[in-house]
Amino acid sequence: MKNITLSISAAVLMTIAVSCNQSSNKNSEKSENGSTAVAEDQSTQQSEKKATDSATIEDGTSTAQGDNNSFSIAPIVTDYLSLKNALVSDNDKAAASAGKKLLATLNKVDMQSVPADKHQKYMDIADDAKEHAEHIGENAGNIHHQREHLSSLSEDLKDLIALFGASQILYQDHCPMFNDNKGAIWLSESKDIKNPYYGSEMLTCGNVQKTIAAK
Amino acid sequence: MGLKKKIILGVAVILIGIQFFQPLRNQSEEVTEAHFEKVYAVPQNIKAILVRSCYDCHSNNTRYPWYGRIQPGAWYMADHIRKGKQELNFSEFGDYSQRRKRSKLRSIAGQIKDGEMPLSSYTLIHRDAAISEEDRRTLTQWFEAMEDSDK
Repeated sequence: MKNITLSISAAVLMTIAVSCNQSSNKNSEKSENGSTAVAEDQSTQQSEKKATDSATIEDGTSTAQGDNNSFSIAPIVTDYLSLKNALVSDNDKAAASAGKKLLATLNKVDMQSVPADKHQKYMDIADDAKEHAEHIGENAGNIHHQREHLSSLSEDLKDLIALFGASQILYQDHCPMFNDNKGAIWLSESKDIKNPYYGSEMLTCGNVQKTIAAK
Repeated sequence: MGLKKKIILGVAVILIGIQFFQPLRNQSEEVTEAHFEKVYAVPQNIKAILVRSCYDCHSNNTRYPWYGRIQPGAWYMADHIRKGKQELNFSEFGDYSQRRKRSKLRSIAGQIKDGEMPLSSYTLIHRDAAISEEDRRTLTQWFEAMEDSDK
């Protein structure tokens, strides 16, 4: 009798172990395929969007033509500026949520709206920027690390603005001390220096390198 | 048989059972074309530190310890390696864009300098992967110089 109970319980436990293993495999597959899933999602969204677009054309109520030229980096710049301002005020939590928001904005960009000749350059910059935004989003509690990523992210933003033009007047500022005196730039909406790399520690350290006029 | 005994037995059976389910191993003898060492000229002393302290989680070739097949630790380790490679994979470094290479070099230097890498949770168990202060300085300086020359 004892033996029977034993073997039954062993069999049951083995089944549990197998199913646990399978589900954990599924999970890892899922996360590996995460990016494809997102890509698929986006393409479905895009085709859905196309469908609605053509629907409106048929209705004759909208000039869907303009949609193709509607790409603007303004939402990206806005999110960047709020991220930068969170770091100016030494707020790692606000910086993290701004980083997450920036990542979401970058992920939302409809690649079909980006002019074809700038596709590749945009992708190159955006891929890098996404990574920095993601890291800043994950590093509440480590403001030093967030600031390191800001320095690379700011380079990306600078290149993005050079590629598409600024949607508002911006100032390219320079902090000579950051990263062992290697220096780092940041972009600001105001002419006054408010250093996001040191915050209250050295708020007015730095200088305006360049004024970028709105396109 | 008492309840306590049954529970102990049950746990033992589960622990034995899961030993039969091993995650895929992250091992490859091949040095890919995109491997960091093929993209940059890596001096021997730097390479030695990379192999000892970085490649286990940041390349396609992990040196597994003898207990690397003991479950559920093997799952934990596999997940750790998956995340590490997602962030940075020396075996595929050459496939990164110029911009991302520069970003990665900068991040590597920063993480090593700040003592964030190698992870303390990793060096706690893999004692041999811990790096000395001298190696830390050497490595940081080398990666910083690489970042500057890659501009």
